Amino acid sequence: MNSTSHAPGSCALRTAVVLAGFFVLAACVSTPPAPTAGLQAAQRAIATAEAAEAGRYAPGELAEARTELASADTAVSDQRMTLAARLADESRVEAELASARTGQMKAKAVNDEMARSTSTLIEEMQRSSGAKP
Amino acid sequence: MNSVNFNQLVPGRTLIAAAVAAILLAACTAAPPRPVGAAEARGKLTQLQSNPDLANRAPLAVKEADAAVRAAEQPEADRELGAHRVYMADRKVEIARAQAETSLAEDQRSTLSAQRESARLDARTREADAARDQVATARAEGAEQKVVAEQARTDADTARSDAASSEQQATELRRQIDMLQAKPTDRGLVLTLGDVLFTSGRADLKAGATGNLNKLVAFLNQYPDRTAAIEGHTDSVGNEDSNQGLSERRADSVKSYLVGQGIGASRLSASGKGENDPLAGNDSAAGRQQNRRVEVIISNPVAALR
Repeated sequence: MNSTSHAPGSCALRTAVVLAGFFVLAACVSTPPAPTAGLQAAQRAIATAEAAEAGRYAPGELAEARTELASADTAVSDQRMTLAARLADESRVEAELASARTGQMKAKAVNDEMARSTSTLIEEMQRSSGAKP
Repeated sequence: MNSVNFNQLVPGRTLIAAAVAAILLAACTAAPPRPVGAAEARGKLTQLQSNPDLANRAPLAVKEADAAVRAAEQPEADRELGAHRVYMADRKVEIARAQAETSLAEDQRSTLSAQRESARLDARTREADAARDQVATARAEGAEQKVVAEQARTDADTARSDAASSEQQATELRRQIDMLQAKPTDRGLVLTLGDVLFTSGRADLKAGATGNLNKLVAFLNQYPDRTAAIEGHTDSVGNEDSNQGLSERRADSVKSYLVGQGIGASRLSASGKGENDPLAGNDSAAGRQQNRRVEVIISNPVAALR
């Protein structure tokens, strides 16, 4: 560096000033933009879950996803963008869970119904063959 | 390093070096803890991955979950960030599990439907056997029924050899229905017994008017899971209250007759509708005759016609 050619005291001072300026700047960069993409993704995930009837099959997860999305919106208006981005992600993943659980419950309902109709058939058969010796 | 040399030469630099060292040190102090809950998320994921029924069913979701769990396991000084990562990891593991369970349930469906098919086939074979047994009994009962028995035996043999065909079963049922002259409706099979059953104004069955009722008895014997609702109706001639009473008594006397023939009383219900439910206008003799009737509504058992 050139610094060796300067007086040692002024060099330290300059470096300190530059460093301080850098920190101040870093602090000011804050207030990142609102996490629009994350919020939209959460909204889409909730809409998908709703369309799949998650309100019926996974109401707890769906309600939580909605609550988290509302909290994310609040965080945006409070200018707490990092928090908002996390809440939006949590809302999205919760809505995805609501959809997944809904799929699982529906598949289970179909299987239960099939098993039930088979056992009814067998029961009826046993009853009618029992009635006639 | 260089700083050591400067250290001796320039006191101002010492100060800066010390400050930088302090900042670096602060960053390194007390290795931050692992976020709370990361271990549980890992545990759930491991459980899913070691379940042989589920392990390979949702590879993409499991991969995502694994990445999320690994992120959550990183030591993190920022507690909120740590908690956020644990949340994401936990939900992704749950999503992977739900997807795997869904896929498992879908695969089990073919087994279930094979079971149902085999039960259905079994049921039809038994029904055909039962029909044949009945034929044997009927044949023993006398020459008059012999012709019917022959017919039924042919039907039974046909039904048995075609046990797998549900159409065959439906045909047999339709034949029975035709024999009863019953009409299939939304409420079930409706069999209308005209006023020939009763003497005018009276509720006891005429002797010799029970032919159609005996067909009903045979039908109910053959289909023991069906129930019948008996409804009495009158025309509008005479007092409404007495018509109501008469219709009830007539329905009751049909029910008693059926019970007398061995049909379980719990399968039968009787009620009177009086003159409130006419089939035709009450202004002509023909209309009134149509209105004086007893209807027997035979329940449709679930899936009987499938």
